Amino acid sequence: MIRAEALTKVYGAKRAVDGVTFTVQPGKVTGFLGPNGAGKSTTMRMIVGLDRPTAGTVTVNGRKYAEHSAPLREVGALLEAKSVHKSRSARTHLRALAATHSIPNSRVDEVIELTGLGGVAKKKVGGFSLGMGQRLGIAVALLGDPQTLLLDEPVNGLDPEGVLWIRNLARHQASLGKTVFISSHLMSEMALTADHLIVIGRGRIIADAPIEQIIGGQNLPTSKVKTDQAESLMNALAAEHVQLTRLDAETIQVIGLESRVIAQRALDQQILVHELTPIKQSLEEAYMALTQNEVEYQSNVGSSQPVGAMESRA
Amino acid sequence: MSTAAMSRPRSATPGAAGGGNVTFFGVMRSEFIKFASLPSTLILILSTMAVMIGFAALGTWLFGSTMDSFSSPEMTAQMGDLNEITASMPVGGLTFAQLIIGSMAVMVMSSEFATGAARSTFVAVPRRQLVFWAKTLMVTVVSALVALISILVGFVVAKPIADNYSMDLEFTSAAFQRNLWFGMLYVVMVSLIGLSLGSLLRNSAGAIVVLAALFFVVSGAVAGFSTMVSWLADAMRFLPDHAATALMQAPGTEGALETWQSGLVVAGWIVIPLAVAALVLQRRDI
Repeated sequence: MIRAEALTKVYGAKRAVDGVTFTVQPGKVTGFLGPNGAGKSTTMRMIVGLDRPTAGTVTVNGRKYAEHSAPLREVGALLEAKSVHKSRSARTHLRALAATHSIPNSRVDEVIELTGLGGVAKKKVGGFSLGMGQRLGIAVALLGDPQTLLLDEPVNGLDPEGVLWIRNLARHQASLGKTVFISSHLMSEMALTADHLIVIGRGRIIADAPIEQIIGGQNLPTSKVKTDQAESLMNALAAEHVQLTRLDAETIQVIGLESRVIAQRALDQQILVHELTPIKQSLEEAYMALTQNEVEYQSNVGSSQPVGAMESRA
Repeated sequence: MSTAAMSRPRSATPGAAGGGNVTFFGVMRSEFIKFASLPSTLILILSTMAVMIGFAALGTWLFGSTMDSFSSPEMTAQMGDLNEITASMPVGGLTFAQLIIGSMAVMVMSSEFATGAARSTFVAVPRRQLVFWAKTLMVTVVSALVALISILVGFVVAKPIADNYSMDLEFTSAAFQRNLWFGMLYVVMVSLIGLSLGSLLRNSAGAIVVLAALFFVVSGAVAGFSTMVSWLADAMRFLPDHAATALMQAPGTEGALETWQSGLVVAGWIVIPLAVAALVLQRRDI
């Protein structure tokens, strides 16, 4: 279990993480979702003590990470691919880390096999592809067979097979009752992997709920409209809950109105529309909407309480 | 710590991984594995030794042949204490070797940050002081051994050359013993200053430049101007290389500090940078 309380990190004038409070529960996969620069990595770095919080605290299983007597057996972290000296072999890197906790070399060979690095374990890490680097990072994370897994953008640079492997690994570890915390900027990936989502934007938590609730809450109707009188139409459609985006001189994207309503408004204003296409909003777009408009969503979440983990996802 | 350990809510159970807690011994072992796995480390150590031994032979030969060419004893007498000079021959390469071994020590820490390996290191051992002092101990042991072996081999190589020119180079002489042990201290001091700089600057090139500046530029400039500016001559004695060299030379040289004072200066140059580096490492984000 990871517990962050009013966790804050300030770099100069920028509040990278701005007073976030959340709990990551064991036994399920918790996704940590947010656009680049939202504060995901900084939060993860604070969990393992690489960054010192400006304010607030974060604990893993009840105490600060650095206060655990066997940190590697408590938390396995993949922070950035290739946190390794380039001239070192994968196996030596793992051996050096294992030595700190007197973890036997047999376990090193085990995680090498587990992550499919057997063929390249003795090669220098400098020559690894991004995907191989990620696998080595996972091997490091698994080294101490930890209670908590912390994976920062683990699918970056992985091929489809690797992505699937990470997904299964995360779900398997969670099914063993472990705490799994995965960050990503890809809603689609999280939708397939996570049970619970914590969404962060501009350093603040903007949603913390079971995944179904978050996807459901953002399914607003979206349409693409083409007209020669784009500005007049935008004026006609403008309302508090409608989001209008001018895509080019004659194209507008409308979120929050059914296409029937758009057509009616255009007719009322005598505006000629020569294309009106309803777009089924993807998860990705739902997430974009979520992170673009954090305040609005916050009230949305507050009104509906999370209802525990779902059982049907596997 | 012990009461907290008893009340810890849910901790890592001995699982598939095996192994135990983080110990200083384990961190030391980890550091040695990392250290031994890099070809650059070995190259720098071998270069240090090559320079030390090469200069020992070359210096002895040059000095011997120069003395030989002097016709009168008066000229020879102008050279100063011949025994002292002869005894310093096996450490003659120190001026150049110091930068090589110093660079190695710099990289023990700076390469961690340059490559991102620091993240792995400090996630595995979040108590950063353990890592820092393990590295310090390792650098101390390695640099002391490198210095000891270099000076001893340098002696063995220089001895027949010295004998050839009838120079008196004796292992047991007080002068050589001083050069041997304080020469070792000199090398350890340079290495630890290098480690501190590598830790503070986190950048190999930057730290090596500062190290070179301290030992070549500052030292050379202060020595150069000290004949003109009298306070520089006083200040010079507090520079690390001058203080350590003073220990290697015969005590009571004019203008030099007392032996214990020079020792204190050297200790200061070891302890203060290390303490600052340890403190900064503790506070700064990785």
